[in-house]
Amino acid sequence: MTYAKAVADGIWAANAAKVGYIPSVTVAPIIKALVASDGGSDGVSPRVTPLSREEEAIGVLGAFALTGALGAVVMQDNGFGNALTALTTFPLSYHLPLLIFANARGGLGEYNSMIHSISQPVPAVLRAFGVPVVELDRRNDVDDWRDTVREAGVHAVMTYRPVVVLGSFWNTDGMVA
Amino acid sequence: MRRIEALEVLAELCGRHPVVVTCAATSRELAAVRDGDNHFYLLDAMGLVGSVATGLALGLDPDRPKVVGIEGDGSLLMNPNVLPTGGYLAPANLLLVLLDNGVYGSTGALPTYSSRVDVEALAAAAGWTTRSTDTADGLRTAFADLLDVDEPAFLHVRIEPGNAPDVAKLLLDPVSLRDRFARWLREDHLAAGRNS
Ligand SMILES: [Mg+2]
Repeated sequence: MTYAKAVADGIWAANAAKVGYIPSVTVAPIIKALVASDGGSDGVSPRVTPLSREEEAIGVLGAFALTGALGAVVMQDNGFGNALTALTTFPLSYHLPLLIFANARGGLGEYNSMIHSISQPVPAVLRAFGVPVVELDRRNDVDDWRDTVREAGVHAVMTYRPVVVLGSFWNTDGMVA
Repeated sequence: MRRIEALEVLAELCGRHPVVVTCAATSRELAAVRDGDNHFYLLDAMGLVGSVATGLALGLDPDRPKVVGIEGDGSLLMNPNVLPTGGYLAPANLLLVLLDNGVYGSTGALPTYSSRVDVEALAAAAGWTTRSTDTADGLRTAFADLLDVDEPAFLHVRIEPGNAPDVAKLLLDPVSLRDRFARWLREDHLAAGRNS
């Protein structure tokens, strides 16, 4: 199993009804795995769809909780700047479960000379807003990635709020960027 | 037509529909005209009505009454992605009503783009079926027309600038709004579908 497949399996194991994603080269293998296991192709399947920006992903997938289902968002951590107002004023304020997996940038293995400016403070920023954050990296094996993503979704449902899993792919079988 | 007059018509038309309503004066005036468990007020988050309504439409039974979003021009123009995203995902059970007064009505009546940008044409270009009106009767007719289309529907309603006087602020706990709306969806909207 690859780390990307582990994330995809964890999202389905959390019982996500719908997944929206904002693309990055790092999340592309996760999307491929999600789509393949959902009978789709070319980045789209019955339960998986591209979206064009992070705040709309929070709105579209957060709304699933109103129907009693769990929505999931797959994105890159530099998009949390776009997502924060929607995240805090919609699912966080209305106590709506939402599972968010974001790949972490700006750390070990990073080539880009500025992305750390947004990505490195993301865990602290999210925690300052009261959003639970779970961090994964090379020290966790693939089974732990899958189980952690699944349990983060369960935790979101149990605690009626968005939960973020940040995964750093450096020194895994995946790509940092 | 003033906003509150358009909302009086919409409140009457939307009794069986899940309704997602934009923040501030629009939510406040709709709640003053008629409150209901089927109304989901977004108390902040400008621009999110179309996204939330799209998600709801995707998550609900498409054979039940359509999800209605009530949005303002300033708010839609803060997140115009709603139009291409709705057109791309194309839920047939989505009707977005745009109350367009040309200004950010809740924030000092500063201008939006809508005097120079044709938002109805933007919606049409993104794949929505559109209608427009500036009268109460036109609103009733266009709303009824758009309930029959099998793709996302966009109703552009030109209204006068200005807020209704002496309408109380909406000081509700968002969690209580979520509870009553989710219960209405579960026990009324979806249950009626199962029984029909
Ligand atoms: Mg306006």
